[in-house]
Amino acid sequence: MISKAKRVSDYKQLTKQLPSVRYVDPEFVYLTLMNNRCTDYTLEVEEGDSVKVGEILGEKCGSFFETPVYSTVSGTVEGVVKKLDQNGLEVDCLKIRNNFKDETHESITDRPDAFIKAMSKEDIVDIVKEKALVGLGGAAFPSYIKLNTDEAIHTVVINAVECEPYLSSDYRLIMDQPEQIFKGLIYIMQTVSAPKGVIAVKKTKKALIEVLERECERYKDYDIKIAKVKDYYPQGWENATFKEAVGIKVPVGELPMKYGLLGFNVSTCASIYEAIKHNMPITKRYLTINGDAVNFPQDIRVRVGTSIRELIKLCDGYKEDINKLEVIIGGPMMGVALPSDDAIVTETTTSVLILKSTEYKEEPCVRCGSCVYSCPVDITPVSIMNAVKRNDKKSVELLEANKCIECGLCAYVCTSKIHVTDYVRKGKNLIG
Amino acid sequence: MMEIVQKSSPHLRRPNARVIRMMRDVAIALMPLVVFAIYSHGLSALWILLAAVGSMVVTEYVYYVIQDKINDGKFQLNNPSFSLYNYSVIVSGLIYGLILPDKIPIQVVIIGGVVGVLLAKLIFGGLGQNIFNIAGFARIFAALSFGAMLGYSNHVDADAGATVLGVLAQNPFSDGVLENYSLWTMFSGLGMPGSIGETSALLILVGGLYMFLRKSFDVYVPLVVMGTVAVLSAAVMLATDGVGWWFVGTQLFSGGLMFGAVYMATDPITIPVTRPGRIYFAFGVGLLTFVIRLFGTYPEGVVFAIVIMNMFVPAIDYAKWSKNTFSLKSGLIFGAVAVISVIGVVVGASYVG
Ligand code: SF4
Ligand code: SF4
Repeated sequence: MISKAKRVSDYKQLTKQLPSVRYVDPEFVYLTLMNNRCTDYTLEVEEGDSVKVGEILGEKCGSFFETPVYSTVSGTVEGVVKKLDQNGLEVDCLKIRNNFKDETHESITDRPDAFIKAMSKEDIVDIVKEKALVGLGGAAFPSYIKLNTDEAIHTVVINAVECEPYLSSDYRLIMDQPEQIFKGLIYIMQTVSAPKGVIAVKKTKKALIEVLERECERYKDYDIKIAKVKDYYPQGWENATFKEAVGIKVPVGELPMKYGLLGFNVSTCASIYEAIKHNMPITKRYLTINGDAVNFPQDIRVRVGTSIRELIKLCDGYKEDINKLEVIIGGPMMGVALPSDDAIVTETTTSVLILKSTEYKEEPCVRCGSCVYSCPVDITPVSIMNAVKRNDKKSVELLEANKCIECGLCAYVCTSKIHVTDYVRKGKNLIG
Repeated sequence: MMEIVQKSSPHLRRPNARVIRMMRDVAIALMPLVVFAIYSHGLSALWILLAAVGSMVVTEYVYYVIQDKINDGKFQLNNPSFSLYNYSVIVSGLIYGLILPDKIPIQVVIIGGVVGVLLAKLIFGGLGQNIFNIAGFARIFAALSFGAMLGYSNHVDADAGATVLGVLAQNPFSDGVLENYSLWTMFSGLGMPGSIGETSALLILVGGLYMFLRKSFDVYVPLVVMGTVAVLSAAVMLATDGVGWWFVGTQLFSGGLMFGAVYMATDPITIPVTRPGRIYFAFGVGLLTFVIRLFGTYPEGVVFAIVIMNMFVPAIDYAKWSKNTFSLKSGLIFGAVAVISVIGVVVGASYVG
């Protein structure tokens, strides 16, 4: 096939409409004390201490900043164990036994609306920083840095596109808590003094649009619009969303703030609301468990820190007749495959996919050009691949491999079933 | 035993993306022409096609048997380099056969096929590595080395012995061709002399439509090739007295232009990988075809044009300007080249006429 891939097709026949969300309260939670930015940590609690929801347990330390670690349950500290995080890295986690009382820490208090209205940019940025909020769409970029921008922002864009197939955690969030998103958006607009707000959703998600539009009626005083974008992959990629939703083309590699735009994922927006209104860090999130190798796929609302192995058990486990499977955090196109299922849900875990592992037979490249036609950043993956094979650094640079956003389309479309994305990744590493 | 494997993203693949599907579609799209060739040229067409396909398949087979002997011993039929399984060598063979004239001696067909696949494909490293269109290369090799033996038979009127382009080569603006062949004859291919498979524009369009619907070729390429020839011939027509619209028609429907545009200039392996690159390439094919026909003595310009343009593919795909988007700059350059070409051809044509 020589053509651009517009949609990522559903040939694994995964369930689109998952059973309605349920809430799980685990016996233990495991809270990550490290991540790829922070390799060290300090603890403020010891084994046996009792803790409450929202209490500070310690700090992740990195070379640039420290981020506090908050408890997501009330219970007792049981010590440090090793688990996998959302990137498949083995990290130290604080194990806490849940006492199911859900007692909140005294710092968790509501701020009155009038008080919030009077808050300055610095106040809000400080709260967001203190609550360790990061981009929940997957990039995990600290939200306070974005909010603290000096550029003049005219539009705040809330990205609810969720373009990867089979994911529905953002969908659930919007259906259940649309008012949080609107209020979060209004707080963000207040912080950066932006006159306009846009919520971008897929055209095809009729139910979502209905909910959002009804909610929109309640906030007539604000200039908030719902932008219906086309159902393409990778429409959820920030630049694509900006282009479709507000019609501004941000060149790859440049900051959207320069163009007066500020983008946040919907879950991030909701978490900003929680932090500012209730002074609450992220303790729960929606999670999709899906895939052709799990018995009962479903959407679940979970505590941050829940064991993924437990959750898979809750979905009736893996299908029996499968001998090779992949456990993926994130979507099928950009998600990270884990070396084992002994992982935990972190605040950026949107989904766990369990897919039957397929061996693809690679053939010689027939230069069909599908990868070139499909690449959203308009580079030429096949030429990059050939340059990487020749170890030709100069050509890789000329071909702008660094622009690649690793959307995975080039490998997805490849007529010869070559893992082109991997070659482009190698190219990116080659030119550092 | 269940095992968790770790792979890098993406974790999905496009279901319909398979080399075999693409190549098989080309083979299917060629079938009406094969049937038509045998119908209008009889058994000789069948022998030519068999010799063309057979010589290429056998050469590739023997080549890999020998190569595997040299390397580690055992040849395996499922060797991914041996491209019989995905139809690609069959497609090359069929195209090669279909662009041969019907009176060609079988041994010439075989020698062209063997040398073509060997020189144009295998020594470059096999499937995906070839620079030249294999069928086109084989055809040119056959033509150049056995020029004397290549000749057309006109089964309608053997004495006329001239193809449309043969007539046109003597005087490109003579409407004498129309006395022998109407435009409908050229379009349908019924009763037309010429290579065994490329005479019916109608069936070529059907094949092209099939590949377009199956997305098995890049439809821009034939459109641009045909468009370029149409514009150039229309410009020449307007600039020359006494030449009517039939001139545009004969240019488009004769001499295998359409066949070359649909089946040969679209061979992805030997054309650029970007959309703008493919458009430049197709423009080049159209321009060269027209120029060769107008000024040269070799009427079947399209095969030459394609093989010549194949040489420019690395330059078109050069890292520095290989982009999948048109920029203002590339658009202006391309526009300027196009305008200069049209003027050049029109001025040149006034000397020919
Ligand atoms: S993975 Fe990179 S190179 Fe491949 S299509 Fe996506 S952006 Fe382009
Ligand atoms: S790498 Fe794959 S998709 Fe890209 S040109 Fe080659 S065969 Fe086509």
